[in-house]
Amino acid sequence: MTDITKDATMPPRSFLSQDAIQVFYRLLAAFLICAVLAVLSDSFLSLGNILNVLRQASLTFFIASGLTLVVLTAGLDLSVGANVALSACIAGTVIHKTGSPALGILAGLACGGLVGLLNGVMVTALRIPSFIATYGMLWVLNGLTYWYMAGETLHGFPAGFRQIGSGYLFGLPIPVYLLLVFLGIGTLFAQRTIWGQEIYAIGANPVAARLSGIPVARRLLLVYAVSGTMAGLASIIFLSRLNSAEADIGESLTLPAIAAVLIGGTSLFGGVGTVFGTFIGALILTLVLNGMNLLSVSANWQPLVTGIIVILAVWLDMKTRRRAQ
Amino acid sequence: MKQKLAYLTLPLLMAAALTTEVRADGETIAVFTKNQTNPFFQTVRVGADNMAKTLNAKTLQYIPTKPDSIPEQLSQIEDVVVKKPSAIVFTPVDYKAMVPGVEKINEAKIPVVNITDRSAGGKFLSFVGADDYSLGLETARFMLKTLGGKGNIVIIEGVKGSLTNVDRVRGFNDALKENAGAKLLASQPGNYQRLQALQVMENLMQSNPQIDGVLAANDAMAVGAIEALDGANRKAQVIGINGTKEAIDAIKSGKLLASGDYNGFAQGCLGTMMAIRSLRNQPVIAEIVLKPTVITKDNYQPFDVPLEQRTCPTFEEASKLGAK
Repeated sequence: MTDITKDATMPPRSFLSQDAIQVFYRLLAAFLICAVLAVLSDSFLSLGNILNVLRQASLTFFIASGLTLVVLTAGLDLSVGANVALSACIAGTVIHKTGSPALGILAGLACGGLVGLLNGVMVTALRIPSFIATYGMLWVLNGLTYWYMAGETLHGFPAGFRQIGSGYLFGLPIPVYLLLVFLGIGTLFAQRTIWGQEIYAIGANPVAARLSGIPVARRLLLVYAVSGTMAGLASIIFLSRLNSAEADIGESLTLPAIAAVLIGGTSLFGGVGTVFGTFIGALILTLVLNGMNLLSVSANWQPLVTGIIVILAVWLDMKTRRRAQ
Repeated sequence: MKQKLAYLTLPLLMAAALTTEVRADGETIAVFTKNQTNPFFQTVRVGADNMAKTLNAKTLQYIPTKPDSIPEQLSQIEDVVVKKPSAIVFTPVDYKAMVPGVEKINEAKIPVVNITDRSAGGKFLSFVGADDYSLGLETARFMLKTLGGKGNIVIIEGVKGSLTNVDRVRGFNDALKENAGAKLLASQPGNYQRLQALQVMENLMQSNPQIDGVLAANDAMAVGAIEALDGANRKAQVIGINGTKEAIDAIKSGKLLASGDYNGFAQGCLGTMMAIRSLRNQPVIAEIVLKPTVITKDNYQPFDVPLEQRTCPTFEEASKLGAK
């Protein structure tokens, strides 16, 4: 446990505190992986590949950044992947029916946000543990999506819409701009606003947070709604990058997002972690896959390697955390 | 052998036709598929419904809500054993793990036809499926022929360890071995997922400046790879497997070279046909392994119609399709 647990009600926190040390270790780990890959593969350090990795990491980051806020409150959102799938299918249908990408984007974000809000209601008003509430939501969303799509695939979207996921601006992929924007907003929100500080306080000690006058339920609603909306954003990126969506796209997105949050140093017990750490977490996961593809590691070994890196990263985190104190 | 059987059963059949004509209709066929998400199983279900309708029978669809869930399909079997439908058309979610389930069906003496994935055990009155190996082989052969037997090739694999993936990738590799000029650059997993295939392709393009052909173990991954190529302004010949609507559209627009037809529609049709025929004491074919069809820009037209408007093969056609 860190200082914040002992003194939960004392904002503001400084970015250059214990969190900065954690982020530094994570950056070090990412650089280490980069260094190894650069030695092993000639093509790894090319500008093209670096942009490629950032663009790939962006999708995981969008989902994981909202999730970070939830985990900071000692909650969990297991419905993010299923939310991406439903939001993508709804956004896609709206674009097909109306021909308007703007309406589609709005529908996708609204669907994601609404699902998040419902999660929040279950956690606050109904007092269902977030793990169970969002796990239930996962099934509800899957059920709706499977029924709605009936085994069909939505595909073919307007070229303008496709730009969001696959376009470039001044040589940088557009998802990378979005990544930087949301990384900035997320970090500022968590570290520099009162609401952000309150979220840390709720995770560190909910009772103390309530007693000190923080509107816990309202902040939790916000956190789950943000997580859902970010899943909605990810669904738009997915749709415009892949030009299609089907009912089962979400399943493989949830666990990497949770892994990115944890590798990034956000504690499942709440109150500790950063959005920037989550970005590094997403980056590390993407680097590992990128490296294995570049080095043509056999498909047999890839899950094993990923698993070992995840365990190593979390172990390293705990080790450095102890030392930092 | 089959013909002999037909001769033997013919008089029996004629007698049966007279006596059972009235009560032959209205059988309930329980159809088990793996999931609601894969378009392939949707084609299987439409095929089964189509055939049942033609033969005046009813279908009851059993689909796990969690895709490919072994415990869920097991509990659905327990359910169906109590409900006792006239017959079952069965796709195991796992060809080994579902054997005890099949044995339960056998104990309950409900006739059962195995479709799509061949079960590792249990008694079935018939098997209807496609041959993943020859689908992989023929589709890859077609691509290599288009490339003039040479070029830099990558394989995007499906879910490691799944029956379909093992055989399809083996087919790909055997086709590559036949062409000395073709060089396999990498064989990487995309887990049958569009996004993963896109990312694998993006990564492989970084380390390989020249890729001429992509062999993807299903259509969603093939289309994902095409998106990656388009995004990098690169061109390569891409093939997929399954013959989904999306693949047909991509073939029409010239983006996808070909797709191997897994023909779920015919599997659904024929599985149901064999189940109903056995109930009506008509001869059945013990094994139908559909011959691989490679769908290309020259022959896609028959596949470019909505499923509901397709017609099931007849029993005579089935005998030809399943000649083995």
